[in-house]
Amino acid sequence: MTLPSEASNDSERHMKIVVEETHKGTLTFRSHCPPSFIEGLQMESGLGHFAHYSSIIPNVEAFETIARNKAGRVTLALIDPNLIVGYGVCWYPDKEDRWSALGDLMYEMAAVEVSRNFRGLHVGRRIMDLTMDDDFFEDKITYMVGLSWHWDLEGKGLTAAQYRRMMMDLYSLYGFREVYTNEPNITLKPENVMMTRTGSRVSEEDQKRFRYLRFGIKQPK
Amino acid sequence: MMKDYPKTIVAKDGTLVRLRPVVKADEEALRKFFAQIPEEEQWFLRENMTDQEFLRKWLNKMDYDQVFPIVAVKEDDGAILASITLYRSASPAIRHVVHLRIMVHPEYRSLRLGSWLILDSVKLSMDLGVEKVIAEFVAGVEDAAGAAAAKLDFQQEGILREYVKDRQGKYRDLIIMVRNLHKDWSDF
Repeated sequence: MTLPSEASNDSERHMKIVVEETHKGTLTFRSHCPPSFIEGLQMESGLGHFAHYSSIIPNVEAFETIARNKAGRVTLALIDPNLIVGYGVCWYPDKEDRWSALGDLMYEMAAVEVSRNFRGLHVGRRIMDLTMDDDFFEDKITYMVGLSWHWDLEGKGLTAAQYRRMMMDLYSLYGFREVYTNEPNITLKPENVMMTRTGSRVSEEDQKRFRYLRFGIKQPK
Repeated sequence: MMKDYPKTIVAKDGTLVRLRPVVKADEEALRKFFAQIPEEEQWFLRENMTDQEFLRKWLNKMDYDQVFPIVAVKEDDGAILASITLYRSASPAIRHVVHLRIMVHPEYRSLRLGSWLILDSVKLSMDLGVEKVIAEFVAGVEDAAGAAAAKLDFQQEGILREYVKDRQGKYRDLIIMVRNLHKDWSDF
């Protein structure tokens, strides 16, 4: 594995690159992929639509859209010549989303997904390593929401409970902890999970606002 | 699983509450908590949790592998507002099952503390590899707790008619409710 290196192009100055040899070939991991880089890439066949599961990101164009949005981030795992075998995407919450009430304080780790053909190679871990290696997160409450109906249980051969624990173990490596909320989608099934990571520069007051907002209270006592 | 605690919730009235496993230092707070449970309800507890000596022994021999008590603690003064205990047998024949027992302080009922504790127990049960969570409720006494369990997909699987006697000697039914975890997980 090579060490991360800053890309020289100014517009891509935050991009970090890691190259890793695996028994499936050479994988290249790139964070902060701009739209211009994404254009022309293709999804590997293990990402897509299956009988009981569909990828959260349906096509390459969706990555371009995310990368164009304010603070939208795309981290890709690639194999030559131009195949996406895994990805991580994050963004500010949608305006309709409960968490948008706290403005730019909240930031969503929206999805990390690895092709069915490239699992077991720690691809998800590398994507998280690159994505989270950024001082940006120290001013944010970063959150992830795991909804069991998005999980590839069949492909992983896991029960929802095992999948949930696998996700929690992965995210906990980056300082995420499970939190409770009454947000309706999350409460629909007990295996659903919300995890958060509170940046080191997030004030006590903001933490309090978030704590109450988790339970639908916009004005804490 | 201990590393997942504490977990903070905000009750319906805005009270900040922390969910966490019971520790030995909780002896006095637990005794106070159970002392405030109406005698009519204490009657149905299988252990006398207001007996200081019993409580001390119970805490000292506690084995989280078989008895996992969780309390809901008020964040500002540390008072215990509710408790739930997961009982799991060491026997491999029924190791896939846990039994829940729940109790909420009378002044803090209707704040959904019981619901949060049941949900937390279900999540904990998943992590423990449990397949079946069983809760028993005394008809006419613990109906609110039974209703909370029903909202969390516990199904009534049986009634033991006139199984318990209350303080006045009146027979009451015991309602057995079950949350099958494994079945739900394979729905996808």
